[in-house]
Amino acid sequence: MIITLRNVNKTYPGVVPLHVLKDINLEIARGELVSIMGASGSGKSTLLNILGILDNYDSGEYRLDGVEIRNLSENRAAELRNRMIGFVFQSFNLIGYKNALENVALPLYYQGMSRRKRNALAMEQLERLGLADRATHLPGELSGGQKQRVAIARAIVTKPSIILADEPTGALDSHTSKEVMEIFRQLNAEGMTIVIVTHDPGVGAATNRIIRIVDGEIVNQDA
Amino acid sequence: MLDLLREISQTLRNNKLRTVLTGIAVAWGIFMLIILLGAARGVNNSFEENMGSRATNVISIWGGRTSKPYKGYKDGRWIELKGEDAKAIKNDNESTVSDVVPFASADTAKISTSLDVIQGFDAVFPDAARTERMTIKYGRFINDLDISGARRVMVLRDTQAALLFGNDSTALGKTVSSMGLAWTVVGIYTHRWNRTTYAPYTAYKAVTGNNDDAYQLNVTVQGLTDEASGEAAEDDIRASLARQHEFAPDDANAIWTWNRFNDYLRGQTAGNILQIAVWVLGLLTLLTGIVGVSNIMFVSVRERTHEIGIRRAIGAKPRSIVTQVITESVAMTAIFGYIGVFMGFVVLQLINYFVGDNTEGFKNPTVDLSIAVEVTIALIIAGAIAGLFPAIKATKVKPVEALRDE
Repeated sequence: MIITLRNVNKTYPGVVPLHVLKDINLEIARGELVSIMGASGSGKSTLLNILGILDNYDSGEYRLDGVEIRNLSENRAAELRNRMIGFVFQSFNLIGYKNALENVALPLYYQGMSRRKRNALAMEQLERLGLADRATHLPGELSGGQKQRVAIARAIVTKPSIILADEPTGALDSHTSKEVMEIFRQLNAEGMTIVIVTHDPGVGAATNRIIRIVDGEIVNQDA
Repeated sequence: MLDLLREISQTLRNNKLRTVLTGIAVAWGIFMLIILLGAARGVNNSFEENMGSRATNVISIWGGRTSKPYKGYKDGRWIELKGEDAKAIKNDNESTVSDVVPFASADTAKISTSLDVIQGFDAVFPDAARTERMTIKYGRFINDLDISGARRVMVLRDTQAALLFGNDSTALGKTVSSMGLAWTVVGIYTHRWNRTTYAPYTAYKAVTGNNDDAYQLNVTVQGLTDEASGEAAEDDIRASLARQHEFAPDDANAIWTWNRFNDYLRGQTAGNILQIAVWVLGLLTLLTGIVGVSNIMFVSVRERTHEIGIRRAIGAKPRSIVTQVITESVAMTAIFGYIGVFMGFVVLQLINYFVGDNTEGFKNPTVDLSIAVEVTIALIIAGAIAGLFPAIKATKVKPVEALRDE
């Protein structure tokens, strides 16, 4: 199992404490293509934050590729995110004043890799996604689909254990959405584990397993 | 490191207007600092040069008129210094006085050639070349053989030689007539303001019938460290002369003294105070620049919250964020600081070019390399301080920010 969650709970404190995740049990195997679906407010974003080591949980256990994720220091969390997780975001989250190649190479910069080496690796990923001719373009000069492909290249450039995608097609038209999903399916075919958080049934249908979350609880895990 | 600089130049270029506006504040602060330092340096330089035109370890003494009765003498008596006073002063103050040289003044003597006439000369010992700090242009100054042989020779200022001979370079070896006798010109000198003609003390005394009247005594002091020791040495010399000429040791009018050593110290102290005042003013000006940079870094961190979140999400450690913000701040401060330094240098050079050499009290108002090094250190510290708090704020940005829509 690449992801194992055992009785994970998360409560946001406040005047009325909000129990957003209730005893979540979840297993995702290496090489799976999974979607997590739920309405807004269902807790799926919180679950994604915990899976992505962007947020802490209160009780339970979370193991990512054999590493227990619990009470990590900021530095250790940053390191694990950098090496084990590739993020793909709804709004692409490319840095506007960096060209495509620099954006893709950025995670490698934080690994302390030399410029020449990381640019070579970044170029390799851009080529793989058919964007070699856009390497020196700024995000503002790219279409939505191209931006998301750059973001995917950035996610896979560190050869992470999993890809976490948060509404990756939310800002794209239906045609481009299909293209992006096709890329995910192709990456999955090459052995990459991919978890997509979405509320779009079309996207869910394109994955191999749908995990539905309602009011902080997993209701079923269809095959 | 190179990568970090590349990152920074990208972010600074990304916000050109903001960067430039803040930079102007820094550049202005540094510019003012450099101008002030240069001006202070100008004042100091002219002081040092004026002092440097005379040896600074010399106390000069002239005879005066007593102002109080003493040992049966009435007040109002003229004190006339003698050449032999030199020996007394030297013997009484072995530890502080290294040499005493009398001057006699032949201020009524005329020195003439077929071309022109000049008035007056000083009768001196070879030591005068050192205490008066003149630069020999041709020939030599009066030497020991001139003294022992009472040779009738003279040393002229170049401009005076030009008057007498039409050209100072041809004057050497020629004769002038003074006091009814012929004197040979053996040296030509240059000096900032002195234009006295010099002849050997002994030769003058021989001509005037061997009286020992000295117009002035130049006492060279040694081992003095501060104003107090300068005062003490002066008092001791006064006491020696009081014994010699029998006037009250506390009679301020009996002899006149000029303590160049203490003048020099006072001037130096004033110069140091000026320098410190300028640094304080300059650094306060720079402080406004720092506040500006700090402010702008806060704005920058706030504006880039989303970007910092993305960087954190893809693996930037808090330390690399801090490093980036602080380095950005230092880079901005340093780049615009150096523009200020450069502008300051240019303006100082212009000032120097137009007024530097012929304005009294403002000689060569420029700053040197050591100032540039000091300013560099000040800039780096300033930039780091300016970036510190915004950087700490930047580390508070959670990586979850990356998931938030703008």
